Formats: sequence, C-alpha cells, structure tokens
Amino acid sequence: MTPTQPPAPAAVDPIPEPAPGRRPGELVFNIAILLASLFLLYSAYGISGFEALSAPGAVPMATTAIMSVCAIIILRDSLRKRSDTAQTVGRDILPLSVIVTIAMIAGYALALRPLGFLPTSVLFLLIMARFLSKRSWGFCLAVSVGTVLVIWIIFRLIFSVLMPQGIVPEGRIISAISSLF
Amino acid sequence: MDIISNLLIPIVNLDLLLLIAVGTFAGIYVGAIPGLSVTMAVSILISFTFSWEVYPALALMIGIYMGGVYGGSRTAILLNIPGAPSAIATALDGFPMAQQGRAGEAIGIVTVVSFIGGFLGIIALALFAPFLSDFAIGFQPRDFMLLAIMGILLVGSLSGDSLVKGVFAGALGIGIGAVGMDPLTVQDRFVFGIPDLRGGISFVAVMIGLFGVSETLAQLHSIHTPAVRQKITNIVPSWAKVRKHLPLGLQTSTIGTVVGALPGTGGDIAALMAYDHAQRVTRNPEVPFGKGAIEGLVAPETANNAAVGGAFIPMMTLGIPGDAVTAIMIGALFIHGLNPGPMLMIEQPDMFWFIVSSLTLANIFMLIFGLTGIRLFVRIVELPRTVLLPVIMVLSIVGAYAINNSVTDVYWMLGFGVLGYFMRLYGYPLAPIILGVILSRLLDDNWRRAIISERDDFGAMMMGIFTSPLSLSLFLAVVLIVATSTPWWKRWRARKAGVVASQGQKP
Repeated sequence: MTPTQPPAPAAVDPIPEPAPGRRPGELVFNIAILLASLFLLYSAYGISGFEALSAPGAVPMATTAIMSVCAIIILRDSLRKRSDTAQTVGRDILPLSVIVTIAMIAGYALALRPLGFLPTSVLFLLIMARFLSKRSWGFCLAVSVGTVLVIWIIFRLIFSVLMPQGIVPEGRIISAISSLF
Repeated sequence: MDIISNLLIPIVNLDLLLLIAVGTFAGIYVGAIPGLSVTMAVSILISFTFSWEVYPALALMIGIYMGGVYGGSRTAILLNIPGAPSAIATALDGFPMAQQGRAGEAIGIVTVVSFIGGFLGIIALALFAPFLSDFAIGFQPRDFMLLAIMGILLVGSLSGDSLVKGVFAGALGIGIGAVGMDPLTVQDRFVFGIPDLRGGISFVAVMIGLFGVSETLAQLHSIHTPAVRQKITNIVPSWAKVRKHLPLGLQTSTIGTVVGALPGTGGDIAALMAYDHAQRVTRNPEVPFGKGAIEGLVAPETANNAAVGGAFIPMMTLGIPGDAVTAIMIGALFIHGLNPGPMLMIEQPDMFWFIVSSLTLANIFMLIFGLTGIRLFVRIVELPRTVLLPVIMVLSIVGAYAINNSVTDVYWMLGFGVLGYFMRLYGYPLAPIILGVILSRLLDDNWRRAIISERDDFGAMMMGIFTSPLSLSLFLAVVLIVATSTPWWKRWRARKAGVVASQGQKP
C-alpha cells in the first residue's frame, strides 16, 4: 500500500444501477408517498372539481393524479424487490447522528426568536461540533465562538442581513465599538 | 456599440470584477468540498444578496457557478470522491492518474480543458441566444407549456433510478409551486385552512432544504472518511498535449453545450454523455479508459464547463432553466422583480451581455486560480467536516430565515430537508422538484392561456399542436422521452442488439 491509496471506494459508477435489494424503510416511505399523493389529489379535486379545463384546479389535479400513478408504480416495483438484509435502519437509514441533527435544527428554530442569533448559533455549533467530532469542550467552544463571530461580521457588513437580537444588545455593542474610533 | 459597452460593465466596475473573482475562488472551494454543492451555495446566496442590486448578486452567483463546476474535479482526482455531481466521470480516470503519482498532470490538463470548454459554451450563448430570443417571440403558450414539460421529463429520465421516480419528483415540484392563492382567480390551492400558506411556500426555503439540509444529513453517514495528502508538482500542461486532445475537446464541448442548453439537463449529465462519447471515438488511447486515460479527463471536463454557458441559453431566451443552478437564478431574478424570458432579452439586452461578460471573466479567473492556487485548494479539502457540516447548517438556517424574517420558513426548510434526505436514500432525483417549483407558474399560466384560446376544447388544442411544426416537434420530443424510458423500449433495444450480435458472429 502506497500512501496515495484510496481512503474509501466512492460511488463513481457512470450509470448508477438501481439498487438490487429493497432498502430498510423503503416500503414504508413509498406507501407514505402514495397516501400523501392520494390525499393531495383529493385536495386538488376540491379546488374546482371537473368544472373546466382552464379552471384553477386543472393543473393541480393533473399533477397530483400523475403523482398518484407514479407512486403506485414505484410501490409495485419496490414490492417486487427482495429486501436487503445486510442493511439496517439504525445504521444505513436513520443513524443517531441524523436524528440528533434534525432535532437540533428544530431546536434552533424554536430558540432563534427568544434567545437571538448569537447565543443560539454558538450553542448549536458547540453541541454539534462536540457531538460529531468528540473533541474537547474548549476546542469546540473556541471553534463555535470564532465561526459565529465571522458569520455575524460577514452578515452585518457585507450582506446586511438582520437576524433576531434576542438577549444580546447588538445595537448597543456596535455603537460602543464605533464610539471607540 | 451598446453591446460592447454592456460587455465592459463588469470590467470597468472594480467591485463587480472583484465579486466575480471572489465568487470564482469560493466556487472552486465549494465545488471541491464533497457535501458542498453549487446549487446549495447559490440557493443560500439568494437570500443573503436579497438587499443587493441585481448585477452584484448575479456576478457573485456566476462566479460560484463557473468555479464550482470546475472545482469538483479536484476531489475526484485526489480522493476518488467527486466534489460535485458533474465530476463523477472525472474520477474514473483522474483518480487512477493520481495513484500513479500524476495528480499534478491530471489537475493541469483538467484546468486548461475546463477553460476551453467553458469558453466555447459562452461563445455559443453569445451567438445563439439573441437569435433564439427573436424566434421565441413567436412561441405560442402551448409551446412554452410543452417546453416546460419536456424539461422536467428530460431531467427526470436522465437522473435517478427510473423515469417514474423522476416524473413523480417533477410533479411534486409543480404541486409545491401551486400552493397558495391562484393569481388569476384568487382561489386557494392546497392551503388547508392555514393562513400562512396563502402566500405560497417560499421557494428559497424549499431549495435550501432540498439541496442544503438533505445533503448535509446525507454527508453525516461518511463524516469520518479521512482525507489523503499528495504532493503535486508539474501542473501547467504543455501546449503539445493540449493540442493533441483539442479535436476531442471540441466535440465534447459541443455535446456539453447542447446538453446544457436542453431545458433541465446540466453539467452532470453532459459529463457522463461526453465520457461515453470519448470511449467510443478514441481508437487507441495511450492508457486504457479507467486506468488513467487523459481522454477520460478531457471529455467530461470540457463538457461540464461548456454546459454552463449552454444552460443560460434557455434561461435567458425562454425563461426555462437549463439546469438546477439556472433554475435558482431564475428564482433570484424573480425576487429582484425581473421576469426572465424573451421579453427580458429585448427590453434589457444589457443584462444578457453583462451575463456573457461575467461568465467570460469567471472562466478566466478559474484558469488563473486553478493553475496557481493549487496548494491552498488541497489544504481546504482537509478541513474537518465535523466542524464544516454544522457551519453549513447554520448558514442554511439563516438563509431560510432571512428571506422573509420568518421562523416558519425554517420549519419548511427542515421539512423539505428531511423529505429530500429520504428521497435521496430511496433513489428519487431531487433536481426535477426544483425545476417543477420554478416552472409551475409558467406551466399553469400557459396551459390556461392555450386552452382558453381554444375555448376549453382539448381536441382543438391538440389540432393546433399537430398543425404547427414547432409545437409538433416539441410534442414528439415529449413522447420520445417517455417512450425511450419505458421497459418495453429497453426490451426492444436489447432484442435488436442481440439480433445484430448474433448476425455478426455468423461467418
């Protein structure tokens, strides 16, 4: 083995073959997709029914009908496939890291207004970096505070994006800094 | 004279020039880092550049687009992981070259041919788009409708597991685009009694969810893959070598431009088709394909950069995106109050020539940065992804929030992120969704215009399609795309190929 050996084989097949086996959860997902499509079709019918071809509900009904037909074919195809026993939901579909990340983003959205952009982002990055990298708390804190500062400066100065202030009096800090010069 | 002064806008305005340079530089990074894609970066940027003028915002996005398509080749060559979907074919021969210690040579040739391909694509844009837009003025509503359907079907059939999944994704996108009050009749569609939904779902939130959040969630699976170092020397290729591969490069650039110009399909599909073409026309490669053939680098890399210029052709002339990135740019123009399409080309030709000139500059910057900044770019790939991914998430959240200052948009982003994550896992393509969302309005409006002008008579509308050469060819294209993706067609082709093979074996 030379030091330039590949770290891991990557998906570089020019024409990706359809997965031979059915992945865990695929059946459930495809059933959910079908049910959602049928529900949307019903809802599209409620817009204007079969009133006229130029009615506001015509295109929505056509698209949701196409979605439903496709979902039926997809479900039929996935029923024909044999399930792939080598994969598990916990490892290949919904590992802990994905679940934690989804929950963290939802938590961020909840905390953004009351806490403000700066503390929420520092907390989010601190916990995520610690959880994913398993490095020391000090390292993670330094990285998260540093990154948030850079993002904040770029947002305020270059893009003039205003984020919720929350508990940090950003306006007063900025005027205090500018009064120094 | 006007054209020249419009072409000079980004050159004489130093801030625009700088933005293109910064964009291209950032784009190479974005393209090189697996998990960061141009589509993601541009959709987040729409929100951040919301308060800017149109030109600076476009300059930055164009730089990122051009740089990003090229940047994906870096990681494909060095790590065997395509940094961007358009670099999948590049890894096939690029990585074997790196294994043989020829990474510098590979990167050098890729940089030069990307520049050549990019340049040819831009020339095609500058030459053909003005003609096409004159021609497009005569398009009937039904033609726009057919073009939109064709674009969604085309990208649906060429990406992902199957046409059915692609069509599903496209239809879902059209549905998402229809949510809210119907602009013509003020009737609610898919609102479910929720007042927030009457204004529709913010497409920026949908895009950041589908391309930002779902991608980072998918990247969590491979977060601990280590990066490798390789010493790189001898990067600028000799003119003789470039010239030797120029004929192939011209052919594959043409493929790239055409594929890019087709509605919906972009650099990723162009690169794979060009690689396939190179395998068929190269009689005696010095090194076999897949083992480090230079032809295997020239073909996809000319094609994917040529597709950039190509993708702007339908965007500027018809308002129909050439690929996912131009779809997002159409969204950006909407936000700035512009309506891309044949009228924009006629009313604001300066915008078109500004884009041509910015693309050219981005292409030149790409060549310069690609050949000089090589050590820097190798280093960035090694940035720990355990830190990078959470930062991308924060940027995504801020991007979704900032467009309307609304937390609801963050929830939409997360919802579509999770949906996109599962769709990826189960082999659904995501690009048709974006195309559907962007084209939903155009499709709906033009369908209704077409059918109203025939007094709601479907037969009369079909008659109109069959009697107009343009409509008929578009209609046949749609039928052909569907037909060639069915299992019956594949079986028929296989049987035909079998017959030819058995005849060939007979003495």
